[in-house]
Amino acid sequence: MIEVKQVEKRFGRKKVLNGMSFTANKGEITCLIGINGSGKTTVLNAIMNLTPIKRGEILISGKPLTKETYEKIAFIPDAITMMPSMTIQQAMDFMNDFYTTWNQGRATEILNFFKLSSKDKIATLSKGNTAKVNMLLGLALDVDYLLMDEPFSGIDIFSREQIAAVFTSHLVENRGVLITTHEISDIEHLIDKAVLIENGKVLTEFNAEEMREEKGKSVVDVMREVYQP
Amino acid sequence: MPEIFNQREPVYLQVVRHFKEKIAAGELRPGEEMPSRRELAGNLGINPNTVQRAYKRMEEENLLYTEGNMPSKITEDTNVLTQVRHELMLDAVETFIAAVKPIGVSLEELQTKVEEQFLLEDVQTGGEKND
Repeated sequence: MIEVKQVEKRFGRKKVLNGMSFTANKGEITCLIGINGSGKTTVLNAIMNLTPIKRGEILISGKPLTKETYEKIAFIPDAITMMPSMTIQQAMDFMNDFYTTWNQGRATEILNFFKLSSKDKIATLSKGNTAKVNMLLGLALDVDYLLMDEPFSGIDIFSREQIAAVFTSHLVENRGVLITTHEISDIEHLIDKAVLIENGKVLTEFNAEEMREEKGKSVVDVMREVYQP
Repeated sequence: MPEIFNQREPVYLQVVRHFKEKIAAGELRPGEEMPSRRELAGNLGINPNTVQRAYKRMEEENLLYTEGNMPSKITEDTNVLTQVRHELMLDAVETFIAAVKPIGVSLEELQTKVEEQFLLEDVQTGGEKND
């Protein structure tokens, strides 16, 4: 479980995380929903220890992030972080050199699943294919938790469908996925849990199926109530 | 291709109904193997945990049985199968009655209308039965 507890973070005077708390379970897909500027990316950065936090605590499987727990968690940022001049093969080799958890067998499988060619240069890829390579580089790590920042934004519908198919496959089986988005409609049926945030705070968190069962409300219904009272 | 699901009804119940309809219609035969949970999640584009829940519910309702590590199979118990047909029919009739109640139609009027329409539909779908 990833536990975010009362986390505070400022950029200058602006509080970007204002006592944010939520949990993301292993074996589940948790979705952080909020408009731009609500603190989604910042909290992912904070979980990965890429940005210092002022107050609060973040635990991965009950422990704070250490050298060992870094091996249990992977972050897929919204833009690819590889050199554009690299081929997909070189990017995979690069990952293999730096991460002991790199699983080339799985990487090859994902490569085929997305119909990508390892000889292609990253700079020459379409936006959709760049996003797929970005996903590949994170998914091929043998980690317990995957954080994904806006994997669907700015991508055509078929690429979105292909990426969404990853979530129903064994590629994320038994792992914990924490994903951010501001457009839920694509993945409403895929997520286990929704966490609605605004101004660096959690407004509500709920299990999507329970919400349908107990209140007859869709995730979008709850969003309407919460964001447009 | 992912099917269109209702956003407000629990997805697992929609999956259960989907299979009940297939069983009632005879598209799925008694003893037939069900797709694996993972496979079905992929086909329907839904969360594997949801499929797991749907299968669990169907097992509780004795629609499915699983032996050891084998794939789940459709029940061969004819009682359960007739029950499913009745349940689906009753559901549909209840919805129908709830929909016509506010209009204030008599039972006789309804019966003739239903008969008329039923035969008409039969003629229409009978001609294009290629799937």
